[in-house]
Amino acid sequence: MTDALVIKGLSKAYGKPAVDGLDLTVRSGELYALLGPNGAGKTTTLRIVAGLLRPDAGSVRVFGIDAQAEPAAAKQLIAWAPDEPLLYDRLTPMEYLEFVAGLWGVAAGPAREKAEALLKWLGLWDERAQRCEGFSRGMKQKTALAGALIHDPKLLILDEPLTGLDAAAARQVKDVLTERVRGGTTVILTTHILEVAERLADRIGIIHHGRLLAQGTLDDLRVRAGEREGTLEDVFLELTAEPNAVAPAALSL
Amino acid sequence: MRLAWRGWFGGKRGARSVWILGIVFVGLFIVGVPMGLGLRRATVPIIPVIALIVDLVLALVFTLMLSQTLAAATEALYARGDLDLLFSSPIAPRKVLFVRFAAIAANVFIAFALLISPFLLPAALLGHPAWLAVYLMLAAVALIASASGLVLAMVLFRLLGPRRTRAVAQVLAALIGAAFFLVTQARNLFGQQQVSGVAGMVMGAARGGLALPPLADWPLRAMLGQPVPLLSLLAISAGLFLVATNRIGRRFAADAAAASGASEKRQQPARLAGAFASGVFAVTVRKELRLMARDVPLMSQVLFRVLYMLPMLFVLLRNAGHSLSFALPAGVGAVTFLAGQVASSLTWITLSAEDTPELIASAPAVMSLVWRAKLVAGLAPLAVILIAPLLALLVMAPRAGIAALVFWPISAVASGLISQWRQRPAKRAEFRRRASASFMTGLAQLIIGALLACAAGLAAAPSGWSLAGSVVALIMAGVALFALRRDERTIMEGLLSGAS
Repeated sequence: MTDALVIKGLSKAYGKPAVDGLDLTVRSGELYALLGPNGAGKTTTLRIVAGLLRPDAGSVRVFGIDAQAEPAAAKQLIAWAPDEPLLYDRLTPMEYLEFVAGLWGVAAGPAREKAEALLKWLGLWDERAQRCEGFSRGMKQKTALAGALIHDPKLLILDEPLTGLDAAAARQVKDVLTERVRGGTTVILTTHILEVAERLADRIGIIHHGRLLAQGTLDDLRVRAGEREGTLEDVFLELTAEPNAVAPAALSL
Repeated sequence: MRLAWRGWFGGKRGARSVWILGIVFVGLFIVGVPMGLGLRRATVPIIPVIALIVDLVLALVFTLMLSQTLAAATEALYARGDLDLLFSSPIAPRKVLFVRFAAIAANVFIAFALLISPFLLPAALLGHPAWLAVYLMLAAVALIASASGLVLAMVLFRLLGPRRTRAVAQVLAALIGAAFFLVTQARNLFGQQQVSGVAGMVMGAARGGLALPPLADWPLRAMLGQPVPLLSLLAISAGLFLVATNRIGRRFAADAAAASGASEKRQQPARLAGAFASGVFAVTVRKELRLMARDVPLMSQVLFRVLYMLPMLFVLLRNAGHSLSFALPAGVGAVTFLAGQVASSLTWITLSAEDTPELIASAPAVMSLVWRAKLVAGLAPLAVILIAPLLALLVMAPRAGIAALVFWPISAVASGLISQWRQRPAKRAEFRRRASASFMTGLAQLIIGALLACAAGLAAAPSGWSLAGSVVALIMAGVALFALRRDERTIMEGLLSGAS
C-alpha cells in the first residue's frame, strides 16, 4: 500500500534552519503523532506538507503525488487544521461548511448532506444557524474540524488540535479522530499533551532542531531512549535533553 | 500614546512609513517656505469675511476630529485587554478615562498639526511668531472633540444599549466625518442655486451683507495670538474636557463592563442556510457578500467615501438637465475618481482582509478564480449604487452617459486589479491604515484614479480635442496600471510569507 506521506531531505530556514534535512514516512491509515519541543520545526513541516510554505530543499509526496509538482492534486487529499481554528466569525457553521466544501469542489447537494451529518455528529446542530463569533473555543475547534472533514480527506493534518479545549470537547475531538482512523483516514497531529499521543497514536515521531530524532511505537522509542518502562514523557525528555541544560534541582535556591 | 504610535510606525513597514512621511513633509516644506516668505509682511485684518472663513474651517476640523474621537471612544468601551487591567487596578476610573481620552485628543491633534506644519511653521518663523497660537487652537478643538466623542458614545450607549452602540456609532462617525461636506452641498442639491451654501455665506460676508454674532471673531483673534481670546478658548476647552472625563469616569467603567458581557453573550438571530452554492466562484462570492453585509463597523468606514459620492451623483444628474459646458464633464470625472476609491476600499476588504488566508491557500482551488470571485463580490455593491444614476445619465445626457458607462467600470476594475495584484494579508481592523502599509501602491492608485478621472471628464466634454486628450490620459493610466501587475506566483508568495 502507498504510504500516506513521504518526506525526504526536507529543509526550510528562516535565517537559521527550522527544518533541517528531515526524512519522515507516515503509513496509510495510521494516526501519527509528531512531537517536539517548541521551535523544533513541527509546524513548519506540516505547513510545507499542507502547501502553505515552499521548502528550500527536499521533497514531499502525498499518497505518491509530488506535492510541489502537483500541488492541487495533493491538496485535494489533505485537510489542514492549525491550532487557531480557520473560521469566519460572521459566518454560521452551515455557511462556513458551504464555503469550505465549495473550495474543495464538493457538489452542493452532497455537501449539504455531509454538513448536516457532521454538525449533528459533533454536537453543533443546534448552533448551525448562529454566527461563530459567539462560540466557545471548543465549539470553534469542532466547527473547524467539521470543515476539515467535509471533503473526506485521505490525510488529516492537525496542529495542536486539543489546545484550550475543556475535557468534554477534548474527548469528542479524540473520539472523532479515532473514528476517522478506523474508517481509513490517515491522521497526523502535533501535541504537547504527551498522554494524548501515548494513548491515541499508532506511531510517534520526535523532532528536534528540525531533524527526526526517533520514530516508531512507544516501545520502539523506549528502546531508542534506553528507558525500559518509562512513560512517553520520560522518553521524550530523555531524547530531547539539551547537553548543557541545567537540571531542575540545580535551579532551586 | 505609545500603543497608538507603534500602531502607526512600529515594525519594518512603520519605519518605511516614517521615511515616506518625512520625504512628503520635506516636500511640503519646500512649498511652504516660499509661501512663508511671501507672507512675511502680510497682515491678517480682523474683518467678518476672514472671521467667518476661520470659523468654518474650525467647524470642518471639529467634525473631522469628532468623527475620529467618537469611533475611538466607542472602541475604548469595547476594547478589552488594557481596560480590564486598568479598571482592576487601584487607579480611579476617572483618572484612567482622563489619560485614555487625553491620548485620543493628542492623536487627533498630532495628525492635524502635522498636516498644517509645513505651511504654518515657515510663516510663523519668518515673521509671524504669534501665528503659532494656531497650534493651541487646534489643541483646544481636539480637546472639545475628544470630550464630545466621549459624551456622544455614552449617550448612544444609554439609548441603544451595548449591542447596538458599536455599529451605530461607527455609522454616525462616518456621517459626522462627511457632515460638513453634505451640509455645504445641501443647498446645491435641493435648491436651485449653483453655488454651495458656504460659498454664498462667504460672498455675503465679503459684500458686508452678513452680520456675524458677537465673539464670532474670537477664534480668528485667538489664532493670531491675541491673549484674551486665546486663553479664554483654551480654558473653555480644557474645562469641558475635564468635566466630561470627571463626570463620566465611573459610568464609563460600568458601561465598559456591560459592553464586555454583551459581546460575550451576543446571539445572532437564527439564520438557516438555504441550498448550498456549488463551485469555487459561487461560494466565494456568497461568502464575501455575507461577510461585508454583516461587518457594519467596517462598512460604515466605506460609507464615508460613498457619502462623498452620492451628492456628486445628485449634482451630476441635476446638471445633466442643463447644458453646462464644465459642470457635467467635471462631475463625470469626479464620480469616476470616487468610484475607483470606493472600489479600492471594497476590494481591499475582500482580497487583503481575508480572515483565513491559510484555509484558501491549503485548498486545491485555482487561486485566480478565487481572486476573481472576490473582485466581483467587492465591486457588486458599487455597481448597485451606480447603475441607476448611470442609466439616468445615459438618457439625460448621452455623451456624458457614454463616458460614464465606459470609465466608471474601468476605474472600479482598475482599483480592484491593483487590490488583487498588490494584496497583502491584513486584518479588517487595519482598514484605516491600509494606505500606510504600502504608500507607493496607494500613491500609484491615486495617480491612476486621477488619470482615469481626467480621461472620463475629457471624454464627456463636447470637443474633438478633448476626446484625443481622453485617449492620452487613458493610455497613461493603462501603462501605470500594468506597471503594478504581478503574476499569481508572486502574489501567492507575498500572501504566504505574510500569513506565516
